[in-house]
Amino acid sequence: MLNFASVVERAFSGPICTERDFELGIFVPNLRRVVEKYAIKYDPQSPVPADDDLADRVWQAGIEFLAETGVYCLDTERRILFSREEIETALKSGPRGSILGEGEDAKAMPRRFPEDETPPWCSVGPTSVPVSNEWNYINLVKGNAENPLADSITIPCLTNVDGRQIVGGSPLGIEGAIRAVLLTREGMRRAGRPGMPIVNGVTTATRSQEHIAAHHFGLRRTDALEIGTIHEMKIDFDSMNKVAYSLAAGSLIFAENGVILGGLAGGPAGVAVVTAAYNPVDLLILRGVVQHPFPTHFDLGVTSARDTIWARSLANQAVTRNSSLPVVNVGYSAAGPMTKMLLYEHSAWVIASVVSGGSVEVGASARGTALDYTSPMEPLFGSEVAHAVAGMSRKEANQIVNALLEKYESKLRDPPVGKKYQECYDVATGKPSQEFIELYREVRREMADQFGLELPPSSPYL
Amino acid sequence: MPSEALYQRLSEAIISGDRNKLLAIVEEALREGIAPSDIIERGMSPGMREVGERFARYEIYLPEMMMAAEAWEGAMKVLEPRLLEAGGGQKRVGRVVLGTVKGDIHSIGKNIVGAMLKMSGFEVFDLGVDVAASAFVTKAEEFEADIIAASALMSTTIPQQRSIIEHLEARGVRQRYCVLVGGGSATQEWADSIGADGYGRTAGDAVALALKAVGKG
Ligand code: B12
Repeated sequence: MLNFASVVERAFSGPICTERDFELGIFVPNLRRVVEKYAIKYDPQSPVPADDDLADRVWQAGIEFLAETGVYCLDTERRILFSREEIETALKSGPRGSILGEGEDAKAMPRRFPEDETPPWCSVGPTSVPVSNEWNYINLVKGNAENPLADSITIPCLTNVDGRQIVGGSPLGIEGAIRAVLLTREGMRRAGRPGMPIVNGVTTATRSQEHIAAHHFGLRRTDALEIGTIHEMKIDFDSMNKVAYSLAAGSLIFAENGVILGGLAGGPAGVAVVTAAYNPVDLLILRGVVQHPFPTHFDLGVTSARDTIWARSLANQAVTRNSSLPVVNVGYSAAGPMTKMLLYEHSAWVIASVVSGGSVEVGASARGTALDYTSPMEPLFGSEVAHAVAGMSRKEANQIVNALLEKYESKLRDPPVGKKYQECYDVATGKPSQEFIELYREVRREMADQFGLELPPSSPYL
Repeated sequence: MPSEALYQRLSEAIISGDRNKLLAIVEEALREGIAPSDIIERGMSPGMREVGERFARYEIYLPEMMMAAEAWEGAMKVLEPRLLEAGGGQKRVGRVVLGTVKGDIHSIGKNIVGAMLKMSGFEVFDLGVDVAASAFVTKAEEFEADIIAASALMSTTIPQQRSIIEHLEARGVRQRYCVLVGGGSATQEWADSIGADGYGRTAGDAVALALKAVGKG
């Protein structure tokens, strides 16, 4: 595979163009052309499509689009271009089965295919959701690490240092990022799982210097830094600096691609193609061991809408049928903790992801932006659903996802906000309220009665 | 009526975001003696309205909006001097300096806000992402803006919205501008706490607030 130094070189020597010309003169027309050529069409009735030929066309469209378009470097205002051959070689020599975690918690990241019985990797936790204090932070980590199905932790975002609001890029950002790692390790130790890997190091960090500083205070080689492409098909030196550092430190990278539905990629068809096109970019530029996609709706701020679920399922199928770089999906819901709607939303995107070849990272409630609106319950439920549907056919999944969507899609714009962590959990014991346990049990029963989904019996709340 | 057909074609050129085609039709209309204000109000504006409606119905997305806005801007470069010559007033509703705050590179929401503002007749100067508080102020002064619109998506970057207001105060020009804040992490409560003039949850809100600020809402 083309080495990282050569990629950096291209960022300095590729063809110059303005950002506007890249967007409207290159990206948009190239994308429209391949969407048309490969006849990629959105079908709202099939949020989980089951058409292998369509999936492979999405893949071909994505590769062709990438080879023609390249990736725009914002710092040098040049395109980083890759030949088809370089893309193919990268796909053949990408990382396989990387081990994350230490000791008893060390585990290989599985490669999964559509309808695969292999249990999905489950990352759990408040996916970068901002939390108000360190005590909640530790308890949230501990509560999630106690989930018997958890393979890794996705950490929250600290918002202040001793009462001072954290400002990214300032010394407060450095201190906040360091504390986030130390608090996470402590939370996992209290849960009896000290070796559990962190896969979104470090969300409290805004800039690369904060990621790098935090790495020296307890991130390990078997944890992953989360590094993203910039949408769409762009990259900057701050992100590439994180890659350079991770490569030097020998640590792992989760390569994230949050294509925005309604943004430059346009509608669902474009989103599916661009998400697939990112797969080789995640190998070549971000040097990832995992592709971490989350097509997000521009207006609703969620990944649980019908069109984003379709794009996600299809892109997953395109990628997992054609590339060995494993996929771990993440999802943003509209509703907040202790609402049924939240559990329906997470179930819908989790089911779509898993039967389409992905693994999952569950925990971003209330769009991932509302202070303290997160709890360990929804990741627990999500990981149970993920295990329950491994091996299910896409057709069956499509029926369930359609039924779930009917329960909530009309409420995505004005969802129930639910409860803050401290309102639905006892902060001293770190345990959920009885009311919350009842709600969880009720939705578990609905899953069994309405969809025949038997969730694993490992739950601590039965 | 031939001018009706021209209005229709102007509108279509806006909707398809075809800047060159629009310019050609504008020239043609001017040659035929159609008043610049009619070209705008009876041809281009209905096209813009249609673009906005299609966007709200999720039939078109950001690229189509950006192209329509670019086509509009191109035509206005030709039409505005003539409007002034003809003694007509400015067609611009107001001026906005827009950007994503320092440390934050989330750009999509800001771009949607920018495109929607342009479509509503505002002249928008987009400073891009990772913009220092002082740069918002300097550009607003230079550009003679009415409104400063700042996007921030993270808990670690919303403090920069407050910083913009502090910089305005330090330069003694706070009263000159309407400061609007938005983006995932901002809330009405936050906007009130920093003394912003408005908070919007969506790009539609941003337009409504901006129109209100210039007395057109
Ligand atoms: C896409 C995305 C990215 C992309 C951004 C690409 C791009 N070019 O913009 C990438 C992958 C690069 C990215 C990076 C990061 N991200 Co990010 N990202 C998102 C995500 C999923 C969606 C944002 C988005 O574009 N939404 C769609 C647009 C249209 O919505 P919007 O921006 O909110 O705008 C609308 C309204 O808010 C409003 N509006 C916007 N601006 C304004 C302004 C005014 C004046 C008004 C009135 C209205 C208004 O109108 C818009 C249209 O309706 C959000 C989650 C979310 N649900 O918001 C996380 C999120 C914002 N990111 C987050 C994080 C942590 C990061 C990283 C630190 C992660 C990392 N591993 O490094 C980096 C930070 C980089 C940096 N320095 O800025 C967190 C922030 C948590 C916090 N601390 O508060 C969030 C909330 C997700 C999460 N929980 O993990 N991210």
